[in-house]
Amino acid sequence: MRRYRLRLWISLLLLLSACTSPAALGEPDHIRLPMGYLPSVQYAPFYMADARGYFADEGLELEFDYAFETDGVALVGAKELPFSLASGEQVLLARQQGLPVVYVLGWWQDFPVAIASLKTSHIDEPADLQGRSIGIPLLGGASYIGYAALMAANGLPVDAANLEVIGFTQTEALRSGQVDAAVVYANNEPIVLEAEGVPVNLLRVADYVTLASNGLITNEATLREDPDLVRRMIRATLRGLRDTLEDPDAAYDVSRKYVEGLSGANEAVQRKVLEESLRFWQTDRPGFTRPEAWENMQQVMIDSGLLPAPQDLGQAYTNEFIP
Amino acid sequence: MSRVVFTIAVAAGTLLVWEAVTRSGALPGFLLPAPEAVAGRLASTLRDGSLIHHTLVTLSEVLAGLAIGLLAGTSLGYLLAKSRRAERLLSPYIVASQAIPVVAIAPLLIIWLGPGHLSKVLISALIVFFPILISTIAGIRSVPQDLRDLMRSLRASRGQALVLLEIPAAAPFLLGGLKIGSTLAVIGAVVGEFVGADEGLGFLVNLGRGLYDTALVFVALLMLVAIALSLYSLAALLERRVLAWRETEKSP
Repeated sequence: MRRYRLRLWISLLLLLSACTSPAALGEPDHIRLPMGYLPSVQYAPFYMADARGYFADEGLELEFDYAFETDGVALVGAKELPFSLASGEQVLLARQQGLPVVYVLGWWQDFPVAIASLKTSHIDEPADLQGRSIGIPLLGGASYIGYAALMAANGLPVDAANLEVIGFTQTEALRSGQVDAAVVYANNEPIVLEAEGVPVNLLRVADYVTLASNGLITNEATLREDPDLVRRMIRATLRGLRDTLEDPDAAYDVSRKYVEGLSGANEAVQRKVLEESLRFWQTDRPGFTRPEAWENMQQVMIDSGLLPAPQDLGQAYTNEFIP
Repeated sequence: MSRVVFTIAVAAGTLLVWEAVTRSGALPGFLLPAPEAVAGRLASTLRDGSLIHHTLVTLSEVLAGLAIGLLAGTSLGYLLAKSRRAERLLSPYIVASQAIPVVAIAPLLIIWLGPGHLSKVLISALIVFFPILISTIAGIRSVPQDLRDLMRSLRASRGQALVLLEIPAAAPFLLGGLKIGSTLAVIGAVVGEFVGADEGLGFLVNLGRGLYDTALVFVALLMLVAIALSLYSLAALLERRVLAWRETEKSP
C-alpha cells in the first residue's frame, strides 16, 4: 500500500513538472533584437507587430535593444543573438571578416541616404558637388557608401568633393555654413531643417542607384538549425510592416508607447519622419530584397576600397522565407 | 631587477592566456583576434605608414591639450589658492562644469569649433584642467606657514616667494596632478576623435569597428596605451628628478 502511494506521488510530481515546463506552458522564445539606433518612430513596423500581438502569435517575445548596428551584427555573427537589424553593406563587411551573417528580410526597399544642402548653396544636381565641402558623419558605414554610390552613378570620382568628417552634427554644420552640403538620412535631417524654416535641396541616392538597405539579419547556424524561428520572426515582422503601411496614423499612435517625445512640440516633425520613411518601405512584395541591389552595393564597396574582392552574394542574402 | 622580471612575466603570462583562449575557439576571431593577427595588423599599418600618421595626430592633440590644461589649471589654481574670495566666487562654477560629462559636450564643441584639431585639443585640455587645478590648490596651500613667515622676514618679493618657496613646496602635488593629467589627456583626445574625425587613433578605433576589423581596433588601443604609458613614465621621471632633493634631505 505504501509503495503504491509512493508511486502515485512520484507520478503526480512528474505530471506537475511536465505541466510547468516551458514547452508545456507554451512560453515564447525570447528574442533580443538590436535595432541599430535610438528608439524612433522609424521602427513603427516592429512596434506594431509587438503591440498587436503578432510576435506573440508566433511564439516570440521581443526585447528591443537600441545597440549600435555594428555591435548587433557582431552579436549575431558570434551566435549570441539570432537576429539583428542591419544595412546591406554591414552584411558584406561582416562576411568579409568571417562573420557568418545572412540577410533574410528586406525592410527598406531603397537606400535612405541623401546629400542635403541649403537652397542658397545652389547644389541642384550631383555635378554641382564638385569642389564643394561635404560634411559626413564618418568615413565608413551607410553614409560613406551612399555618397560613393551617388558619385559613381553620376560618373564623378569620390574625391571630386572635399569630404569633412563632422560626426552626427549635419543640421548644425549646414545651418552654420561650416559645410556646403552634408550626407544625411532623407527621412531625418532634411525634415528637421524644413520644419525650422530652412529650405533644403536633396540629392537622394535612391534616385540614382539601387542599393541593399536596412533589413533583418540572422546567422548561418540559426538558418540551418532553426529555420522555423526565422520564418516566424519574418511572418510577424511583415504583418507589422503591412499594418504600418496601411494605417500610418495607428502606427504612430502605437509608437508613442515605445518612443519618448512623439507628442507635443515634436509631433509634426516626427509624423513627417514616419511619412517619409513609408516611401522607402512601399513595395509589391514586402520583405523581398533585390539581387541587383546587392550587386550594386558590392561594386560600390569594391570601387571605394571597402571590399578587396567580390563575395558569393548567394551566401549573403536569401529571399527563401519571403512569401 | 626583480621589478623588470615581474613586468615581463605578467606580459608573457597575459600573452599566453590570450593565445590559449583564441586557440581554444571559445571566441571567434572577430571578437578576440589572436596575438599573431594583431601583430600582423601592427606590422602592416606600420609598413604603410598609416599607424605612425594616426599616432602622431593623436599625440599632437594630447600634448597641446595637456599644455593648455596645465597652463589653465595651474594659473587658476594658484589664484584660487591665494584668494579665498576668488575661490568662494568661482569654485561653484568650476565644480558644476566638472559635473558635465565631456562625452556629452564633445559634439557641441565640434559644432562650435569645427571638425579640425582644435576641438580635440580643447576637449583634452578640459579633461586635464580639473585634476591639475585641484592639485595646484592643494600644493600651494600645503606650504607651511612658518616658511612663509621666514620668506616675509627676509623681505622676499612675491616672485621670489613663488619660485623659491611655493613652487618647490607644491611640486609633489603638481607632479602628481601631471601624472593623472597625462593619461586623462589621451582619453580627452580620443573622445573628440570618436565624435568626428578623419585621422587619429580614435578614428582608427572607429574605422576598425565599422569594418569588423577587431585586430585594427586592438592595434589602435595598443598605441593609445603606449602613448599614455610613455607620458606617465616621463611625468614620473620628472617627478624623481625634481624631487631628488627630498630624498637626499631624508637620507641621513
